[in-house]
Amino acid sequence: MLRLIMRVTGNVLKIAALCGLASVVHAQADAPDPSTTATAVASAPPPNERSWRIGAAFGYGERTNPLIQSDDIPVLVDVDIAWFGKRWFFDNGDVGYTLFDRSSSTTSLVARVNDDRVFFGKTNTRYVNFAYAGNGFTTGLPPPAVAGGSEDPPPPVEVNPPDRDYAIELGVESLLDGDWGAAELRAFHDVSGTHGGYELSAHYSRRWTVGRVSIAPTLGFSYKSAQMNNYYWGVHADEATDALPEYHAGAGVNFEGGLVTNYYLTRHLRFALSVNYERLADEIAASPLAEDDYVVAYFSGFAWTF
Amino acid sequence: MKKLRWLVVGCGLLVNLPSAAVDLPAARLIVKPLLCVIDREAGQCSLTFRIRWKSEAAAEYCLNDSALSTPLRCWPSASAGTHDQQREVSEAFIYWLGAPDGTQRAAEVKIDVLRLDSPDRRRERRARHVWDVL
Repeated sequence: MLRLIMRVTGNVLKIAALCGLASVVHAQADAPDPSTTATAVASAPPPNERSWRIGAAFGYGERTNPLIQSDDIPVLVDVDIAWFGKRWFFDNGDVGYTLFDRSSSTTSLVARVNDDRVFFGKTNTRYVNFAYAGNGFTTGLPPPAVAGGSEDPPPPVEVNPPDRDYAIELGVESLLDGDWGAAELRAFHDVSGTHGGYELSAHYSRRWTVGRVSIAPTLGFSYKSAQMNNYYWGVHADEATDALPEYHAGAGVNFEGGLVTNYYLTRHLRFALSVNYERLADEIAASPLAEDDYVVAYFSGFAWTF
Repeated sequence: MKKLRWLVVGCGLLVNLPSAAVDLPAARLIVKPLLCVIDREAGQCSLTFRIRWKSEAAAEYCLNDSALSTPLRCWPSASAGTHDQQREVSEAFIYWLGAPDGTQRAAEVKIDVLRLDSPDRRRERRARHVWDVL
């Protein structure tokens, strides 16, 4: 118990340190610059925006599922529901409270649901006569323990990908932007006791708009702690079988790159095309539960924003 | 008899009222483009509008820009016309075709402005959910 408390405390301290660092950077970036203050005052007032943002996209897309014996996740409808108040906001399941809103950054406390669980929702039971060895590889099952040996192949073994739960995570998020583009820094910790781990992530994106077309590439990475990776991608002792050997996943970094393009037909309607590639950390890819070491998502369709 | 007299008077009033539908033939106005997309790096669009109109009958029409108090161009007696206009756009406005005195509108077209950037950067949070791919 003491070890658990110390481990959680250590993780919280790491997150606090990261956020503190981010705040210092923000404070420096947000210090008023005498040369730009006059410009800011002279600029036109921002247009009034509605608190609600509601939209839906219809088309065809898919997100691959790296989990063994699982189906890819089709995306036919992408619903967008968000509400932004002065401090509080709701953004497609994330609930946030803005702590600081400065000229170059916005920092918020955010509660969210971890999405890794979604991969475990579309699984199938299979009978196999091989063992999962990680990275999509398989090996022969160990011969049956029969006295005197046997020439017969091992009988098929039932394999059920294990169940995993959603985790409620609480953390800090900083959004920064400028002429150089936009960055998002996030630090989240499980507060639901599901995996007990944490995730640190950073993403950079930049949008170019020419006429009615906008194009926005994104690059980023997510560091996931050993507790988090092991909960979702480890094969726990009570789950291990001959076909699914026990595996402990350590901490690792996922790298990600994506591109979103939009062609605006009217003020409310656009044609959207997006693609995203995520390279899973070696510690995840090496899990017997992982069939692929990547997740690819793409979508093409028409999006309507009310 | 008294009712009939009131009816005649009423009809006479209606006939003498000025009416847009009667005085100015209906027209069709076509403008391209209809949308200005503004992002962070540019506060306005610089667009060349191609404006075409056609009416059922020849009449005196003037083309107007809702942001201006005087017409852009007038046609003394015409049933069709074209006009190109180079314009900086930062707010939605209306092109309309009407009578020279501005009292009647035969057709109008709204030019919309879409701002992609927002003063509230939380609105541009990255899509993160599995089902959220845009």
